[in-house]
Amino acid sequence: MALVKYFATLREITGKREETVRGVKNIKELMQLLINRYGDKFAKELRDRAMILVNGKNILHIRDMDTEIEEEDVVSIFPPAGGG
Amino acid sequence: MYGYHGKIARINLSTGKISVEKFDEKMAKKWLGTRGFGIHVLLKEIDPKVDPLSPENKILYTTGPLTGTAAPTGGRYMVITKSPLTGYIAMANSGGFFGAELKLAGWDMLIVEGKAEKPVYISIRNEEIEIKDASHVWGKRVSETEKILIEEFGDKHAQVASIGPAGENLVRFAAIMNNGHRAAGRGGIGAVMGSKNLKAIIVRGRGRVELADRQKFISVVKEKTNKLKNDPVAGGGLPKYGTAVLVNIINQNGLYPTRNFRSGVFEYAEEQSGEAMAAKYLKRNKPCYACPIGCGRVNRVGVLEETEGPEYESTWALGANLGINDLASIIEANHLIDDLGMDTISTGGTLATAMELYDVGLLKQEDLGDAPPFRWGNTEVLHYYIEKIAYRQGFGDKLAEGGYRLAKMYGGEEYFMGVKKQELPAYDPRGAEGHGLGYATDNRGGDHIKAYMISPEILGYPVKMDPHDISDEKVKMLIAFQDLTAVIDAAGLCLFTTFGLVGDDYRDLLNAALGWDLTTEDYMKIGERIWNAERLFNLKAGLNPREEDTLPKRLTEEPMPEGPNKGHVVRLKEMLPRYYELRGWNADGTIPKEKLKELELDEYL
Repeated sequence: MALVKYFATLREITGKREETVRGVKNIKELMQLLINRYGDKFAKELRDRAMILVNGKNILHIRDMDTEIEEEDVVSIFPPAGGG
Repeated sequence: MYGYHGKIARINLSTGKISVEKFDEKMAKKWLGTRGFGIHVLLKEIDPKVDPLSPENKILYTTGPLTGTAAPTGGRYMVITKSPLTGYIAMANSGGFFGAELKLAGWDMLIVEGKAEKPVYISIRNEEIEIKDASHVWGKRVSETEKILIEEFGDKHAQVASIGPAGENLVRFAAIMNNGHRAAGRGGIGAVMGSKNLKAIIVRGRGRVELADRQKFISVVKEKTNKLKNDPVAGGGLPKYGTAVLVNIINQNGLYPTRNFRSGVFEYAEEQSGEAMAAKYLKRNKPCYACPIGCGRVNRVGVLEETEGPEYESTWALGANLGINDLASIIEANHLIDDLGMDTISTGGTLATAMELYDVGLLKQEDLGDAPPFRWGNTEVLHYYIEKIAYRQGFGDKLAEGGYRLAKMYGGEEYFMGVKKQELPAYDPRGAEGHGLGYATDNRGGDHIKAYMISPEILGYPVKMDPHDISDEKVKMLIAFQDLTAVIDAAGLCLFTTFGLVGDDYRDLLNAALGWDLTTEDYMKIGERIWNAERLFNLKAGLNPREEDTLPKRLTEEPMPEGPNKGHVVRLKEMLPRYYELRGWNADGTIPKEKLKELELDEYL
């Protein structure tokens, strides 16, 4: 059971700050599940340059969409963002 | 010459003499504008070892070729002087509307020198420049100063850049403010104005910037503006949540400096995030001149019907870095700091130094008397000490010297989290090592915006780089960021355009405005020249690279204690020699003569 955290516009789209998700092996499966659940708007928001972290580490530096999700993992999902 | 008026006003406050000087396209092509013009004048005209608060220091208000045009974000100005905080170059950038107004008044740059006998302000109405008595506004805060001067000037469209009590009282991190809450913030440049008895500059310009091909320029501007509007960050996240959208991002990535960089994870980040600010306090957005992004926040909190900010940096400096979690107090403190005319980052950094000195027992309650204790998370510290700093009252007099000098006074130099005596901004480089190299080599000391490596290392623009990669690719990216940033600054644009634009876009805008046919590489060469010239000034001012191109020991020797970057330090010793070499510098961090010649800088030796 992984904890999925949403930020910025994703909170408006999902109506949540976080939720627990069961039965997904990796990020690819998680994203399929979330897109099925929250639809095109969710997918569109993440189309360009989304940031996905597993326990604070960017999946691009782990195994990208094949990054495995273990029990107790925290997955943080951000739409494209910047500042300074 | 297009994009420039070719005109500089030299204003001597000691003699009252005002003269007009001209410059030609050769100077424009060599230096582009703002920082470029500024470093050229500093190297030519002041002794780099001059006391920054003496009449012999000069302060320059500079614009770029795109300042005052319709180019997206084309309203920036920069103030360049020798910093009383670092002892090296200060170049502080601000948005709002002052820069564009100065340019539209017909001036590319003001050189202010000497020292007035009594408080004065400079009044500029197009060509006409006067030095006027400011005794009636001396002592006033920024908002009141702006109001009084605009009323006296008799034109509500006039723009003011002024100092508050902090600048008058020579606080080493005093800022220059315009439009109430826009700050040319860093390096203590407000104290330089104060040392010259210069309270403010008010300007109204009714002219325009001549362009090589107006039709072509407008079509390029439309194209680039659309690019920014369609960008998910510049046209989405930034306008919606402001810069504080970064609070959660940086905290989740484990590099949100907490309690004076003791940790990179703040347990209350959510409560002071951009999302929380938008939900609880946001009234509306407020864009600067010609800005399609509009990241500025107008907030309402408590008795403050309207205030602006805080930005991400200020939210952090007055929040997580002090262990404070009350966003309302942070917003109020930010408002107060702006009105008193100080840099929020250095104010917060100095308070954080005091908190750690107190925590480890080097600063004792008896040193403070009845004043509030510097305990982590104590919001009373914000309410009490900020005013004391600006007026140099009680312990505030010591805080007004900045974190470095404070730590030294109490024998705890290792608790100062800064570089070259300037307090660090809101990213713990143990979670972004290239950004750490940026801090160590920044010409103005502890600073994030002269090469924002958080972009590639964390956010993924223009490419995503591993934050713990320290290969030559990373070092080269830092060098490219330093040079490109110098170009964007010199052009008169905002760095937030980099979220949607790339080097070729700036080339297109500049070439269309100026009628030049330079390549992106040509512009990058100008950026490299500016960076090296600033370094040359610092070396002449006495910079010791071995001791000062460095980071606080905590960041290079103490592994991050928790979070995603647990166990990491910044491997600066491995990166720094590579940086020097890839810059074409000597192994000791000085610049070889051949390099200076290649960059046409040998005349400044």
